[in-house]
Amino acid sequence: MPQLEQVEFFISQLFWLGVFFVILFSVLTYITLPKIRAFLNQRDDFVKSHISKQDELIKKAESIIENYEAKLTEAKNQASKIINDAKDKALKESEDLIKATEEKIQHEIKQTEERVAKEKDTAISELNDQLKDSATNFLSKVTNIEKGNINL
Amino acid sequence: MAKGESPLKQFEIQPIVDINFLGFDISFTNSALWMTITTAFILIFFTVPFLKAKKTNSVSDLYPTRMQVAAELGFNFINSLLADTVGKEGKKYFPLVFTLFMFILFGNLFGMIPYSFTFTSHIIVTLALAMGVFIFVTVLGFVKHGVKFFSFFVIPGLPVYMLPLLIPIEIISYLSRPISLSVRLFANMLAGHTLLKVFAGFVSALGFFGILPLVFIIALTGLEILIAFLQAYVFAILTCLYINDALHLH
Repeated sequence: MPQLEQVEFFISQLFWLGVFFVILFSVLTYITLPKIRAFLNQRDDFVKSHISKQDELIKKAESIIENYEAKLTEAKNQASKIINDAKDKALKESEDLIKATEEKIQHEIKQTEERVAKEKDTAISELNDQLKDSATNFLSKVTNIEKGNINL
Repeated sequence: MAKGESPLKQFEIQPIVDINFLGFDISFTNSALWMTITTAFILIFFTVPFLKAKKTNSVSDLYPTRMQVAAELGFNFINSLLADTVGKEGKKYFPLVFTLFMFILFGNLFGMIPYSFTFTSHIIVTLALAMGVFIFVTVLGFVKHGVKFFSFFVIPGLPVYMLPLLIPIEIISYLSRPISLSVRLFANMLAGHTLLKVFAGFVSALGFFGILPLVFIIALTGLEILIAFLQAYVFAILTCLYINDALHLH
């Protein structure tokens, strides 16, 4: 087995192993790995900053939504209030109108009744007068007959 | 892959440039060459995509390129591995675990390229890595806890008369960590590559029926790539667990 037979190359192998391992270790430690780490950190920072920015934006959006919803409910309340007011007003107006009409009708009925009563009175008094006239006439005629100077 | 060639020949070390330093033979070998390729590849793969990264806050500059995504994948993989096993304190040891994982992973994976060399198939390399981890973890334990670190070998809630039996067992198991860590990686690489080579030998030996071992080799190559990843992962996660032990004792 050359691994155990070629003893004369042991020192050479150890020497070169040491040389290359030290070179590799030093360059990696002081140049390569810090570079990779810096690169990765830079990216991580970038991503983290964007995540925090995103959180801010989400919060902003949420507040905007809240604001919007508050305004929306306010507007809805106002609208329903206006509708109710209008309904109330219309109801009141129609009631007033009905009331006024009823009053007017009552008034007219009363007036008519009064007029009818008045006309009745006048008619009765006219009739009385006529009756009186005709009675007087009759009586005067009757009295003339008794006197004998009847000229029928 | 000539006939009669030993399946172990692929593990032979061949010097490319002979270097002698103060009497030590530190020749640049094929093993060192593939360590160079692995190191260069890892550095390019993970550094280049982030070189042009500028500081801006526009979204389009933050889209990762394909190469950046691939590099990030490795980065996040080790990051979560360490976070799961050690926790927040583990961040300090991230470069170590990352280097170990990537070095072993790409060492294993490049070893799967035909005619390449797998430096993790050499016990001396894996043992050096494992000993490095072992020494680091032990020193870390002593730095964090001082003498109290020895209480690591005392399992809490055990009757006193059991301690003389169990403390030596704990110490032996602790000391055998680097051996198990290194042998696991080395043996997996050795066995996988040897098996591939043996069956590759059958392909030429069986003539027309060589198609059967060929199909087997294709499946085995897939398995070997899985093992290449798995062994790097095992090495990294065990390192994490040892670091966790050193930091929190029990």
